[in-house]
Amino acid sequence: MKKILLLSTIAALVLLACKPERLVAPGEPVKALSGNWQIIKATRNGADLTSRFDFSKFRIHFTDSSYTIDSLVPFIVSKNGKWAFDDPTYPFQLSFTPTDSSRKSSPLLYPVSAGQRNIIITFSPGCGSNSYQYTLQKAN
Amino acid sequence: MEKQNTQPRGGNRRLGVNDGMRVGGNHRLGVSDETRVGGDRQGGRYGGRVWSWAWKIGGGALLLVIAACSMTIDSVVQPGSVNGGDILPVTLNVTITTNTGQTSNFMVAVLVPKIWNAAKNATITFTSDISSGDQGMTVIPAGTPAPQGGGLDWPTLLANRLGSGGNLLPDYEWVAFYSNSSYSVGGNATVHATVSIKIKTSPDNLSFKLGYCVANSTDGLSSSDRYGSYLNNGCFQVNGTGDLIDFCNPQLANIDPRTSLDNDIITLTFDGGVTPTALDNASSVYLCVSGITDTGDSLSVCEQTSRTKLRSLGLNKWQIDLWPRKLFNLPDNKHLTGLRYYFTDAAGGSKVGYGGGSQPFTYTFKCQ
Repeated sequence: MKKILLLSTIAALVLLACKPERLVAPGEPVKALSGNWQIIKATRNGADLTSRFDFSKFRIHFTDSSYTIDSLVPFIVSKNGKWAFDDPTYPFQLSFTPTDSSRKSSPLLYPVSAGQRNIIITFSPGCGSNSYQYTLQKAN
Repeated sequence: MEKQNTQPRGGNRRLGVNDGMRVGGNHRLGVSDETRVGGDRQGGRYGGRVWSWAWKIGGGALLLVIAACSMTIDSVVQPGSVNGGDILPVTLNVTITTNTGQTSNFMVAVLVPKIWNAAKNATITFTSDISSGDQGMTVIPAGTPAPQGGGLDWPTLLANRLGSGGNLLPDYEWVAFYSNSSYSVGGNATVHATVSIKIKTSPDNLSFKLGYCVANSTDGLSSSDRYGSYLNNGCFQVNGTGDLIDFCNPQLANIDPRTSLDNDIITLTFDGGVTPTALDNASSVYLCVSGITDTGDSLSVCEQTSRTKLRSLGLNKWQIDLWPRKLFNLPDNKHLTGLRYYFTDAAGGSKVGYGGGSQPFTYTFKCQ
């Protein structure tokens, strides 16, 4: 009887000691755009225009849902307005809705380069056959 | 003749020359075995080496024979010119010679101005000794890897291998088509094919050096004897409307991109090396430009300042990138339909226009 009791106790302890480990996957941070961004690289149909055209003064300032543009260059939009990601966690599209016209969207890349978060957008400000790709980085 | 209704995907290879090469590779393995055995029998390394080299040389020659396959464009029949918007009819006479059996799709590619949008506006059919009636072809979607092309698609591979065909403006493209069916051809066969190409031209006024290439879906452009090409065959003219887009002759001035609107960044290049001009000895060159608006107004920017100064590319070649809307300070409700422009020296006294003369260069803003 004692043996049975002892074995039952050991079995109960063993079973209770086995506790499933709950692995929690690290959460993907929501991508934030807030702040001032500048153009650090620009291409037109694959040709690098960065050093050939003055993009240095262009700034786009993102807040939670709005954006304002200073020193405009050919861009996906030419007026201030609202912006949005298609998915805040895994964004593949960045859309701009100027106050005076309809929404325009760009494919979005969001790489980290040399420790700095970049955003890369692709659009056509003139003819649809001319594709521009701008790489933006936070301005100091 | 065996005909299979299949469109090849890039990289999909059927039985053909390369399979022959693979078989050759197996022979080579056999050679190694034979060499080793021979060496053991003779008990000498020298004999083994001789056998090894003999087999390698013999096997290599055998491979060349097995793999040899030629494809040539014997002649091209095309008009010297058409009117803008008309159909351009072209006939290619092609000979295909095989040394081993192969089942492949036939590939035909054309070198054309991008503005024609040949992927949508061209139809290609062919007749041959081994098929009955007109055989259809379909454009190969961009991005589809070409066989043995290192991952490149057909247009990129053709541009890398065959180039621009002597066209001096960058707005050209290779457009490739596959036969809708694949065809089995026996070894030591000679096949004649007649390819009929019909391309609806755009209304634009242009001159262009057309080009053609034929190949198959197994060999691709893996070596120069596996495909046939026809390039630099003179300057074909389209008598259309608007400014002449001259791909054939060096341009004193040109604007890139060829098609743009006033909200694009455009690049103007002045190439003083093409012909002697009043700016041959200029130490700096400036742009003098008028923008024609959609209401018919003419806005002028003709000054010798930093915003009109071209940068030197050397060898009397000069360039400037500009954003027309900003240059002319256009309000939102105004748009430019075209430009009329000259190049000047720093004093503004020497002015060079079209052909080096006093008439302005012209550019029309439009999309394809």
